[in-house]
Amino acid sequence: MTLPKNVTADALSPGMELEEYVYGPIDREDIKRYALASGDDNPIHQDEEYAKASGAPTVFAMGMLPAGYLAHAISDWFGGPQHLRRYKLRFTTRVWPGDEIVCRGKIIRIDGRELSVEVQAYRRGDGPEGLGLGREEVAITAQADIELPE
Amino acid sequence: MTEAEDKIEFELPVTLERIQDFAVAVDEDNPVFADADAARLAGFPEIPAPPTFTVTQIFEVPREERERRLGANLNYERVLHGEQEFLYKRLPVAGETLKGTMRIAKDFTKEGKRGGQMRFVTYETRFDDASGDEVMTALYTLIETSKDAAS
Repeated sequence: MTLPKNVTADALSPGMELEEYVYGPIDREDIKRYALASGDDNPIHQDEEYAKASGAPTVFAMGMLPAGYLAHAISDWFGGPQHLRRYKLRFTTRVWPGDEIVCRGKIIRIDGRELSVEVQAYRRGDGPEGLGLGREEVAITAQADIELPE
Repeated sequence: MTEAEDKIEFELPVTLERIQDFAVAVDEDNPVFADADAARLAGFPEIPAPPTFTVTQIFEVPREERERRLGANLNYERVLHGEQEFLYKRLPVAGETLKGTMRIAKDFTKEGKRGGQMRFVTYETRFDDASGDEVMTALYTLIETSKDAAS
């Protein structure tokens, strides 16, 4: 479903699924850009040798990068970031260079102008060989609370 | 070894430059992050920071300093970022400096699914504005897996 630009609570109901948003594919430049902007300079995300020495087949994205895309999706679904009251997320699998991030969500509660959504960011891609990854897997599961204008 | 402190207080500058670098990094194309008029139309006094922007607190309090002062004694070779939560009163806006107060809110151990212990440490940072009002709170949960965990 695509929400109208100035969405209000009476246009919504529990169970509604939100339009899918796709970001990426994430490449090493995106990871570097996020490292510089966020301050997360952990070498496991950028240094191939370091990542391998730590037991990973290659570098992988910091979780907060797809979490940032997912926050972007939530903001866009509900008319802007000013309506966000809570964003809680859990990381379930790593995101690899070449992965697209597919954001999906569903409204689970509406109470007046306040609503809650259950959202997921999937990683979609081949991933590194040898990990037995599925083509599409949940990388982040999250809940968000939104307060819509009157 | 010196005794751990119960909190770390620091300042988080919310500059336009940092906001825009961060917005580009998370692929934000909402004009509120780039255009002051669009921001005002959405009810912000200035250009706001994206919802996950306060992760930039790592610039002000690097991991080594956090570990040294709060003393969680985590072994970072076995640490994953497990969970994250943000509670918003409002979003930070360009030109303000937030006062951050970080402490360890939770620290517990439970059995992992594949055997071995998993330790959960949650750092809570409350961000206040210049008037002392809460802007938002961020909860950052690290998971330390045990040496013998299969993952």
